Amino acid sequence: MLSIATLEPMALAWTGAIFLLFGEVAALLSLPRLTRVIVASTIAEVGYVLMGLGLGGAAGETGAYMHLFFQVVMRGLVVAAGWWLIRRTGSSNLDDLAGSGRRMPVASTLFAFGMFSVMGLSPFKGSYSKFLILYAATEQGHWAMAAVGTIATIVAAAYYLQVVQRVYLEHPSRRVDLAEGPALAMPIAWVLTGLTIVISLWPEPVLWISEVLSGHLHSAKVPEFEGPWSILVLVPYVGGFAVWAIGQVSLRARDAAAVVLAVATVAMIAFAGDLEPATRLFALLFALVSAVMIIYSIDYMARAEWSNRYYFFAFLMTGSLIGVVTSHELGNFYVFWELMTWTSYFLIVHDQNQKAIRAGFVYFLMCAGGAYVMHLGILLVHAQIGSFEFAELSAHAASLPPAIGFAIATCLLVGFAVKTGLVPGHAWLPIAHPVAPSSISGPLSGLLTKAGVFGMIKVLFVVFGLGALDRFAVLGIGFDTILVVLGCLTLLYGEIRALYETELKRMLAFSTLAQVGEITAILGLGTVLAVDASLLHVTNHAVMKTLLFYAAGAFILRTGHKKIAELAGLGRVMPFTAGCYALASLAIMGLPPFSGFVSKFLMIWAAAQAGHWEVAAVLLIGGVIGVVYYTRVISTLFYQPYEGEVVVREAPTSMLVAIGLLAAAIVFGGLLPGFQLDLVARVGDVVAARSGLAQVTLPSFVMAWPASATIALVGSAIVWLVGRSSVVWAGRLAVLTLVLAFFGVVFQWGRYDLLSGSFALLIAGVGVLNMIHATAYLAHSHAQGRFYAAFGVMIAGLLGMTAAKDVFTFFGFWELMSSWALWGAIAHEETPVARREAFKYFLFNTVGASFMFLGLTLVVALAGTFDLAGIGKVLPTLGALPTGIAVGLVFLGLVMKAAQLPIRIDWQMHPAAAPTPVSGYISAVLLKSGPWGVLKLFVLFGGATLFARFGQYADQSVMMDVIAVIAALTILYAGAMAVVQNGIKLVLIYSTVCQLGYVLLAVSLATPLGVAGGLMHFVNHMFLKDTLFLAAGAVMVSTHAEMLDELGGLGRRMPWTFAMFLIAGLSLAGVPPMAGFSSKWIIFEAAFQSGHWALGASAMIGSLFTLAAVLKFAHAAFMGTPTAKALQAEEAPLAMLIPMGVLTVASFVVGVFPGLLLVPISAIQAQLGFTPIAATLAGGLPGLEGWHPGLLSVFVVLIGAVLLPYLRLGHRAGVVRTQIHQCGVGDLLPETTRVGAVNLFETPNAAIRGLLTRKPARLGDGKSA
Amino acid sequence: MTNQLALLAAVFVFPGGLFALLFGLALKGADRRVAARLQGRVGPPLAQPFFDLVKLGFKRTMVPATSAGQTLFLGAPLVGVVAMLVAAALVPIAGVYAPQPILGNLLVLLYLLMVPGVVLMVAGSASGSPYGSIGFSREMALMLAYEGPLVLVVAAVALRTGWGMGGTVTFSLSEIVEYQRTHGAFLLDPVMWPAVAAFVFFYPANLGIVPFDIPEAETEVLEGPLLEYSGPALGLFKVMSALKAVVVLGLGLALFFPVAPNGIFGLVFWLVEMLVLMILGVTVVRVSVGRMRIDQAFAFFLKWPLLFAAASLAVVAVVG
Repeated sequence: MLSIATLEPMALAWTGAIFLLFGEVAALLSLPRLTRVIVASTIAEVGYVLMGLGLGGAAGETGAYMHLFFQVVMRGLVVAAGWWLIRRTGSSNLDDLAGSGRRMPVASTLFAFGMFSVMGLSPFKGSYSKFLILYAATEQGHWAMAAVGTIATIVAAAYYLQVVQRVYLEHPSRRVDLAEGPALAMPIAWVLTGLTIVISLWPEPVLWISEVLSGHLHSAKVPEFEGPWSILVLVPYVGGFAVWAIGQVSLRARDAAAVVLAVATVAMIAFAGDLEPATRLFALLFALVSAVMIIYSIDYMARAEWSNRYYFFAFLMTGSLIGVVTSHELGNFYVFWELMTWTSYFLIVHDQNQKAIRAGFVYFLMCAGGAYVMHLGILLVHAQIGSFEFAELSAHAASLPPAIGFAIATCLLVGFAVKTGLVPGHAWLPIAHPVAPSSISGPLSGLLTKAGVFGMIKVLFVVFGLGALDRFAVLGIGFDTILVVLGCLTLLYGEIRALYETELKRMLAFSTLAQVGEITAILGLGTVLAVDASLLHVTNHAVMKTLLFYAAGAFILRTGHKKIAELAGLGRVMPFTAGCYALASLAIMGLPPFSGFVSKFLMIWAAAQAGHWEVAAVLLIGGVIGVVYYTRVISTLFYQPYEGEVVVREAPTSMLVAIGLLAAAIVFGGLLPGFQLDLVARVGDVVAARSGLAQVTLPSFVMAWPASATIALVGSAIVWLVGRSSVVWAGRLAVLTLVLAFFGVVFQWGRYDLLSGSFALLIAGVGVLNMIHATAYLAHSHAQGRFYAAFGVMIAGLLGMTAAKDVFTFFGFWELMSSWALWGAIAHEETPVARREAFKYFLFNTVGASFMFLGLTLVVALAGTFDLAGIGKVLPTLGALPTGIAVGLVFLGLVMKAAQLPIRIDWQMHPAAAPTPVSGYISAVLLKSGPWGVLKLFVLFGGATLFARFGQYADQSVMMDVIAVIAALTILYAGAMAVVQNGIKLVLIYSTVCQLGYVLLAVSLATPLGVAGGLMHFVNHMFLKDTLFLAAGAVMVSTHAEMLDELGGLGRRMPWTFAMFLIAGLSLAGVPPMAGFSSKWIIFEAAFQSGHWALGASAMIGSLFTLAAVLKFAHAAFMGTPTAKALQAEEAPLAMLIPMGVLTVASFVVGVFPGLLLVPISAIQAQLGFTPIAATLAGGLPGLEGWHPGLLSVFVVLIGAVLLPYLRLGHRAGVVRTQIHQCGVGDLLPETTRVGAVNLFETPNAAIRGLLTRKPARLGDGKSA
Repeated sequence: MTNQLALLAAVFVFPGGLFALLFGLALKGADRRVAARLQGRVGPPLAQPFFDLVKLGFKRTMVPATSAGQTLFLGAPLVGVVAMLVAAALVPIAGVYAPQPILGNLLVLLYLLMVPGVVLMVAGSASGSPYGSIGFSREMALMLAYEGPLVLVVAAVALRTGWGMGGTVTFSLSEIVEYQRTHGAFLLDPVMWPAVAAFVFFYPANLGIVPFDIPEAETEVLEGPLLEYSGPALGLFKVMSALKAVVVLGLGLALFFPVAPNGIFGLVFWLVEMLVLMILGVTVVRVSVGRMRIDQAFAFFLKWPLLFAAASLAVVAVVG
């Protein structure tokens, strides 16, 4: 016999659950028949009531009655409004009802409002009857039932949302003639709407009635799901309604009110005194970025439809975000979490087109689904601890059984992860961003994903605590591991997808994935430092990504183009927007001096500190990928010609203000991160205190800018601005800037050690010369100001690097010197080749810097200090293996900088496409930072005594030996490659790599003689190679040639240029007694004397290659049979000849008096702790067999003077001009008889190519040897 | 003061300067005379190179209209002669002359020896003549081929001496000479035979004689770089060539057979040795073999001499 009376209560509950689940599924399947959907859905709700009654207890029964009340009112509203819509449309099919929002806006709005209320979502959040029932299930341990309820709710969300979207948001698919509606429907609907609002805002009467009906009045077992809302939330919340109302009257007043409200929200939070650190941090971030969003929106939404609705939801979203972070308990937390999803949903679908609605659907369903899972976790917690209060939970977290704790944490994490966009819960992110208005895409990435991060930190780290999380680990897999793995997966997935993305906003969205992955992975490390690091990046990423989206929005607004390729040259017409976009891109790539660099540094350091170098490596790999796609956009914006319409203007004012504010924040956060660090560190302290960990004192992370670098940077900025109006003045200012920077070094001489100070003087000095040359070189080019500025910033980086005393400053300037400024200078010509080559080099530099980055942070982690000198003191006491790896990585970075083998030398070399003065500067000066760093760090890190511990062989440390061998191989390889090149600059660049090999080889011998020879060659090569490049630059300007074979016979037209080229070239090739030979001689001696005779012999053979390369250049360009092109060439202007002349004279003087270099070098050696070589100003070369090149020079001049009269014997009757002998054929064209660069060294070329390159020998290269 | 005077004397009078000039031209004369005899001709008088020099001094200077610059074109041979005159002062004569360290050591000499080649190349290229360019091209190819083995040979000698003396390495020519005078010439030391073999191939290439006179091959490229030269400038080239013979042969003796009595007999001994070397090593060779092609010569040097040179270094390194 079966009757209700005898029915088991649990059977009743399960019947309800089945009703619920099948009802919801049936409703979903009933689409698109609206009537059927509503009927099935109503049956499902009956299931809830049955569940409540069956479960019994205070929560269950009260919930059941309450649900009944709520459903009657809210469902009544749905039915009434739906009735009206169906009758007027004449169909209950959604295909016909679609677009009712346009036809019957009021009724549709009421219908949608009813639908969301039924779901339990609306601004008047009140319906918690469902929660009561589900709570009853978890409370009694019927988790399966709670799970069924959760699944059913997710299913329900799917069709509710579809119905709402189709009816309310979609465009009408066809014309419908509206019929008369039922007279009663609308009045009923209005009444029920009013009732719904009332019982949502003030559910107590309903609750009382329900408690009376269930007989549980005063039993106080019904949990309170919500606490009172914080005033911080109410301001934007209520304000949102006010703004909406004002907007009905005046749009301008509304805009003003919106800004005032946004600023007021910020002010409220800024001055709220009693906020918990994490709350303060996130609330400030949310309010600030939201304020920027409102400012941006004024002009962005000026002509948009439904702008009142937009502001309304924008403020509600801000309020919800603040609500999430200000909650003291999980109830409110959840409510705001849901509201956050709901409000942002309306912003995403704002444009109401098909794509937006689809994206909104995915977004809503995923986030709401995640939230429901999270909700299950929240109920579980309450069932265990009996409270939602964070304080209570925190106090009792230790008592949670591990299995239940694991279930709770997992449920919560699902909700957080979906919001954060962690793989596999990421699907909404790349779909939602592009379709949302750009004013929303920014905060969507910047803020909403961060709410997930907040959840992880606040609920998991602070409330539960790291210790509890550890205890919840299942099968040894803790939440730290889960976060790290999820984070790394998301990071790589995001970076790779972004790499292949062609649409700008989608690319940015995928990049967001990568960034939140980064944040999560670091968070997963579970140290205090890691929390600090990830939080700092949270704040920085919010600003950077919002700016990127805002700039992208401006591009799209002005051009209508969404693809990256279509943005070509926009930097010309929208300089401010594009400039800020570039700035944010650089910041997000983690480049100094912008905020992203600080947080990236902190994150990598945190990973190294935690011993998770693999996480750091994944981050760095991700960073390299990021460089690829971010650079691509900058390159498109600035380094491609503009081909669009002329009418494109800069973005409207309010958008520019918003973008400018964000850009300022990025610069501020890069130069003075103290404000952010302070906010962040307080959260770290809380985590530390909660989990019993030691507090971490963060270093200031302020790069120490010496005067010289500051002058160069500020000067460059001015030069860039001036360059927009006057090229000539920009050039003069650029030169002046570097002159001042030079004096900056002099005035702050005490800041430097002798090695670095001398290098800094050369950096600034040679910089002045090359800048003078550049002003002439670029006289007829384009965008000179931009180039001078990039060049200047590069020099600023070098100057700062030499003055660095701590790891952060050192690496910051290292990056400044070798990343974006360098790239910008190289890509200047804007040709496809220039862009490709510059990009390749940038990428390679990033890889090299990444090794160094990892190494340096490992060193810091090991030594526990940032101070370079302090590290040197500690390192010798540490374990050999980790220290060896860390220091080895640093040195790898340095060696890669100097473009040494064994990677891809054609990638390692700086590209030929750069304007020649900067090519020369890179070759002559910038790349020297490699050997300089090797020497400086070798000494700072404890010199041979430290390195000896990494393994010793024949009195030499293995690490330095490895560098020496690499250098020697590079000498041979690059030297031989220089011989076979035919491009004007490639010859010189390969030769540079070869010469850097000499410097590095010598320095890494680490003997007094070796270091002296290395340093001397360091300077000699600086003078000589720079002369060669500047001469080549003069030739290129004069002839517009790129390849050697376009030239020939220039010597007669450009005698001074040729003379200086030949002198410098032969000196570099090592013709005694010139300067270049002197330093090489010391290097040969040092190599042999230190026992490295094989390396010494290689170095000796290598100089022959240099000779061949130099002579080939001289022959092909300046000598041989003249070409027509050459005959039109003119001698270089003075602005080119003077720098070349200064360098030539300098190298001549140090050639005759090597003491001028050797005396400072010996002082440097003494300061570095080497035995100084014996040197006097007028003396000769050092060493056992030291000789005096000056003396030899004197003899050369004397003997020459003696012999000259004989030579001049033939001049008595004047010099006869003859035609060259051509076997009597007079009309041979020079083009047919000349032996050009390609054919010059046929036999050796074939051998070298056969040996070193995989390319088949060119046709006509002759038989191979 | 005596030191400075001695230096001046070494560079201007003996063994560099005047002495090297005269001796070099005399060797050239002997070479031409003996070569003629070997070919069944009478040949010029021994003093013919001197006569040539005087004769060229009276010719007018001619510069091609296409040259890259008159100063360079005319200055090139001057630089070459100067370099060789200084180099001559660096070559020790066993028992007679030891160069002062302040002038430079073996390494300096080695690189000074490159200067004539450089000068020839620049001269050929600066003339604007295609034959000059071809000569340049061939000279560079040859240098690339023979300098490598030479460096290895020099390294082998320097290491053998240095280790023999208990140090690391020595590039001091006087020490190399002194070491052999006490421990026996390297020519008689089996360990050094590979080095000797490699060196034997080097000097005809460096001196530009058959079979390695490819850059200046008269019958092919009409003396290549020298084609456009005439008058005193051509004379200087001839001097340079003569001086180079002295330096290279002298270097060979210093490196492998510095065996001679002290004093004036030592000098006589040395002069005879040089003459014999010139005739046997240069004259006889150049009249009895034909010229190689540049690609053959290049391949040849990268095979045998390089092999010998590498072997010499390896053997020295192993023996210690």
